[in-house]
Amino acid sequence: MLNIEPTKSTPKVLYLENEKTLEISGESYPENSFTFFEPLFQWLETALPQLTYLTLKVNIRYMNSSSTKCLLDVLDLLVDAQARGTRVSVLWYYEAGNDRALDLAEEFREDLTLSFEIIPLPVGETP
Amino acid sequence: MIDLLEWKETLAQRGILISFNGTFSHSLIEELGNALKIYLEGARLRTGIVTDVFAVYIEQTQNVRNYVQRRQLVTVGHDAAIVIIGQSSGFYTISAGNVIETSDVSALRERLEEANALDKDGLKRRYKEELRKDRAPGAVGAGVGILDMARRASGRLEYTFNPIDDVFSFFTLAVTVAGA
Repeated sequence: MLNIEPTKSTPKVLYLENEKTLEISGESYPENSFTFFEPLFQWLETALPQLTYLTLKVNIRYMNSSSTKCLLDVLDLLVDAQARGTRVSVLWYYEAGNDRALDLAEEFREDLTLSFEIIPLPVGETP
Repeated sequence: MIDLLEWKETLAQRGILISFNGTFSHSLIEELGNALKIYLEGARLRTGIVTDVFAVYIEQTQNVRNYVQRRQLVTVGHDAAIVIIGQSSGFYTISAGNVIETSDVSALRERLEEANALDKDGLKRRYKEELRKDRAPGAVGAGVGILDMARRASGRLEYTFNPIDDVFSFFTLAVTVAGA
């Protein structure tokens, strides 16, 4: 069970068991990113070894540099899980027209050996 | 009594949108950030530029807050800091000023100069290297704020260090983002 409600500066983090989908959405510039993301890391540690597949949906409008580090660490864990047999796919949403958000998504993707789809969202829409 | 109308006109003449002097708490950073976002959205800028200005504001203010906490500057009465966001001829400048220990000046100067010496690709490479490093025990930030701001800036990171006394200096950092 992983369900963290969003605030102004922290994203929603939700795992949907039926769809084996982990969603991270909103804004991310917590007071302390490492503390904020700790429950997610703990969840990944126990849940990942049991999963045959997992979809990660990311729709973050803005993340600060320490959140970026945390997200990169999450993606590294998914790469490890894939090497152990979990099928992982990442769907990364960004606001259409926001070239900075697209750059960030591409930078994440270029270092990872994961199925990683970058999807523009019309302004104001959610996936 | 301070003539606030005159003060307001001075701020307007100098293109200052937001100015705050005091202790940076997380909720204050959020609230000023909201005000900034509302302003930027009203200015009809490209969304990528709104992201850059907001990102520099967050890195600046969180860097200050994290530093003030790490060095426990409240215990010596040096926790107050300044942030100013101004706009001039289509450029947005986010300036922050805070007290630092003079013994931290040389390492900080080195990191700022390193960022200023790198081109776009060099900054990206260094940024990624730093993000990949294991985080220091007890660290609140990822240690990449300066590189992140340099990547979004339209020119050099401008900074000054002014000695206050034997122990402390005042550090000012101004980061300018192109508005178009």
